[in-house]
Amino acid sequence: METDSKPSVVIVDDEEMVITSLRAFLRLETDFRVEGFTDAEQAVEFLRGNSVDVVVSDYLMPKMNGIQFLAHAKVSQPQASRVLLTGHADKQSAIQAINEVQLFQYLEKPWENSQLLLVIQSGIERAQLIRNLRDKVSELDAAHSNLKEVHARLLRAFL
Amino acid sequence: MSSAEHSAPAATSVQPRPAELREQLETARRQLIENYKMAALGRLLAGIVHEINSPIGSILSNNQVILRSLELLQEAVRDSQERGQPPPAKALEILETLSGLASVDKIACARISSVIRGLKSFSRVDDSELQKVDLHEVLSDALRLTSCEFRRRIAIAVDFAELPPVECHPQMMNQVFVNILVNAAQAIQQEGTISVSTRLEDGWVHIAITDSGCGIRPQDRPKIFTPGFSTKPIGIGTGLGLSICKQIVEQSHGGSLGFDSEPGAGTTFHIRIPLHHKKSAE
Repeated sequence: METDSKPSVVIVDDEEMVITSLRAFLRLETDFRVEGFTDAEQAVEFLRGNSVDVVVSDYLMPKMNGIQFLAHAKVSQPQASRVLLTGHADKQSAIQAINEVQLFQYLEKPWENSQLLLVIQSGIERAQLIRNLRDKVSELDAAHSNLKEVHARLLRAFL
Repeated sequence: MSSAEHSAPAATSVQPRPAELREQLETARRQLIENYKMAALGRLLAGIVHEINSPIGSILSNNQVILRSLELLQEAVRDSQERGQPPPAKALEILETLSGLASVDKIACARISSVIRGLKSFSRVDDSELQKVDLHEVLSDALRLTSCEFRRRIAIAVDFAELPPVECHPQMMNQVFVNILVNAAQAIQQEGTISVSTRLEDGWVHIAITDSGCGIRPQDRPKIFTPGFSTKPIGIGTGLGLSICKQIVEQSHGGSLGFDSEPGAGTTFHIRIPLHHKKSAE
């Protein structure tokens, strides 16, 4: 998986204008790597081969809706924070999203740039914490295995 | 009862004249059409709000970015002026961004205008006056409004012939088109096509609206214009739509409303109204 030190954000919305606006804003205020997709299937493909910190998706899209897309994102990028940014504000989809895909945040359109930025920054922090934790746990597991191996050898040496 | 009332001659009840009755019926009919239109508008509203939210979001965001970028641009140009140097490459970059965002704003504003226009046409209170209108404008407004619902999954094909101005009640015709288009979209489960065509046929305007949906079952066909009949689940729609469309086309315009349907293949609604309005027989 391709990794980079800069935080990575993926935006999925069938409206090109939304992607252009968000990309311009994030480029101005941050140094995040931003990838935008108007086609959810292409975004799913991208997530299979690239590590990202935050995924922001619209809900109503052709081919698959935002919740279906975020479910794919959850499988290929479990550590990434999932954000739904939608103009279709109904409680049912919000609850479904939170339950089915463990949504990080639910935002309504029209969005407030400062609020969105805070959400993305928190999302990045969360993703990086989870990644660090996962790495630490792997290290601990490896260290633990080594210790067990050493312990076994010691026992064999003295018995 | 008092004796006075008993002994007084029985008051002759005044029967309303047929003309008065007809007027009352006509008023009630107009009110029903108007009420149904408001109910339909309410149902379309969610789609409309959604359609406007994205362009508004873009415009608000772009505006903020543009203002901030202009600040940075000003600083960059001022700095280089003070040093007697040409503007930095970053300044050009910012200008390019500003230009791009301004283009996006133009598209976003056009989208909002389009939706509002469709809404305005639909929500106008009906004039009892007949008007000579470009029926294609009325159809386009109806398409603009209803495509908020299904733009993402249904392709629209339009085939407009040359039509002279048509004498009609444009808000009522708009309502008929909106109703049939919404039905067409609901008949299409996933993705599909809706085609709209117009033809001039011997002093009559023929509008055909075809969908690639599930079609109308043979057992439902005799009933679809009956008030209250609906194939939609309970709570969706009042079942009045097509009966009101039929009233508008036939009674208010002296035209005809019919359909062809093939279960599994789709349905075409045929609306025919005269180019010049004739008073319909009551």
